[in-house]
Amino acid sequence: MSYPASSDLLWELTRKNSSFLVKRKTGGGVKLSRDPLNLRNVHSRKHSGTVNNQAIGIVPSGKGGISLLTKKGTGATITQSYKPSKTSRKAYVQIVNSTTKKGYRADLREDAIARASALIKSYRKPVKATKESKPRGSKARANAASAASADL
Amino acid sequence: MTSVPQIQVFSAEGKSDAELPLPDVFKSPIRSDIVQTVHAGMAKNKRQAYAVSVKAGHQTSAESWGTGRAVARIPRVSGGGTHRAGQAAFGNMCRSGRMFAPTKVWRRWHVKINLNQKRFATASAIAASASQPLVLSRGHRISTTPSIPLVVSSSSLPDLAKTRAAVALLKAVGAYSDVVKVTKSKKLRAGKGKLRGRRHRQRRGPLVIYDPATDGKALSKAFRNIPGVETCPVTALNLLQLAPGGHLGRFVIWSSDAFKALDTIYGTSTSPSSTKKDYSLPSAQVTNADIGRLINSSEIQSVVRAVKGSAKTKRAGGQKKNPLKNKQVLLRLNPYAKGYAAAKLGQAKYKEGKPVRADATFHDVLSTA
Repeated sequence: MSYPASSDLLWELTRKNSSFLVKRKTGGGVKLSRDPLNLRNVHSRKHSGTVNNQAIGIVPSGKGGISLLTKKGTGATITQSYKPSKTSRKAYVQIVNSTTKKGYRADLREDAIARASALIKSYRKPVKATKESKPRGSKARANAASAASADL
Repeated sequence: MTSVPQIQVFSAEGKSDAELPLPDVFKSPIRSDIVQTVHAGMAKNKRQAYAVSVKAGHQTSAESWGTGRAVARIPRVSGGGTHRAGQAAFGNMCRSGRMFAPTKVWRRWHVKINLNQKRFATASAIAASASQPLVLSRGHRISTTPSIPLVVSSSSLPDLAKTRAAVALLKAVGAYSDVVKVTKSKKLRAGKGKLRGRRHRQRRGPLVIYDPATDGKALSKAFRNIPGVETCPVTALNLLQLAPGGHLGRFVIWSSDAFKALDTIYGTSTSPSSTKKDYSLPSAQVTNADIGRLINSSEIQSVVRAVKGSAKTKRAGGQKKNPLKNKQVLLRLNPYAKGYAAAKLGQAKYKEGKPVRADATFHDVLSTA
């Protein structure tokens, strides 16, 4: 066996048990991953960040920015942070320029952009204010009773 | 022959000051199946016997009342004057009866493990401890660690007698975040174990492996009060520490002397061990476990047949188009459609006007027939 161990061997060793693995009985026994270098949070050979020599991660970096994580040859993680910009396309271009265009995990391009897009979307404020709820039934009666007791 | 990987050695201040060749034990095959079975056996070997009292549930002179008394034939406590009299006894279904299949002290508590298998598992666990992905997958916090395997120079270790110095060392080599993880993880144990000297449970931190001959034993006292940190002499490595729970990839901090000693203790790929009798390192079944490289190697690619078809498969018979909506397809099927549309035959009305109603004789004949 050569050193370091190959990705295929590592995947077989971590497939069934890993600190990143989240198993749930719901959803047909989903296997998810907590790995920051996993773009879809799915526990699979392709998306595993620990096992693959090259992997991409998109994580939030305070105040509406996002960070792109990639792996160095030694296994250490490199972080590039992008500040929040008005146009989210700039972030996508930067992500693609520093990964896919350099021949780095081109297969993950769509997932990387989808994740970045979802993150950026989550920072946006809701356009419409949420409607005030109109309670009915027992809840409405309880509200009315509490309001009446407050008046006394 | 590939070149031997060189591993950096860090000083107590966390500076890389030398390099050491990687001992061959780190190239042994990583076999989680062997590690798991050996670990399961080893974990059983320090169990203590327990059993219920042999007398439990049988300290009564109960006898069955037999048939004819309209009660079950289970043995019943004899006598009178107390509520116990007449109650069923002995059976596992009875109140105050004996348990089903009472546990015996002569259960098979211990498991014999073949020595070679044990050594294989240890070598495997050592190899796994040098794999950064496996250490991460075991849950160790090693993002600040400069390299895996982590080797610390032995020069300062004999003087390491104080816990404060040990903590400083861990911080210098980026291993302290793993200790923080352990401290945060401390929880009350669920169940009776709380009363039995196992009150808390916590994660495992780094394992410090030293060479007792040169590093001395003082450092084990320096490290022993740091949560989760364990120490182990390189001459007596323990699988229970190298792969806790049977999970590969313990975060190991090697002293440089211990690291150097591995080649003599476990032997190299060419020479057998000098301390273990007739022992040589396990060899791998495959020299290259990288399936992608195997498939794409010229040896394999030169003998496989060419790819059939193109990368993209075309739809058989072309794409289906709706002739009612697509005019060109309609014309291909029905060339008359052009003339039909031009003459506006589809919109033309009957030239003769409304059809004339049949006369009365027609209706008479129809109704009488």
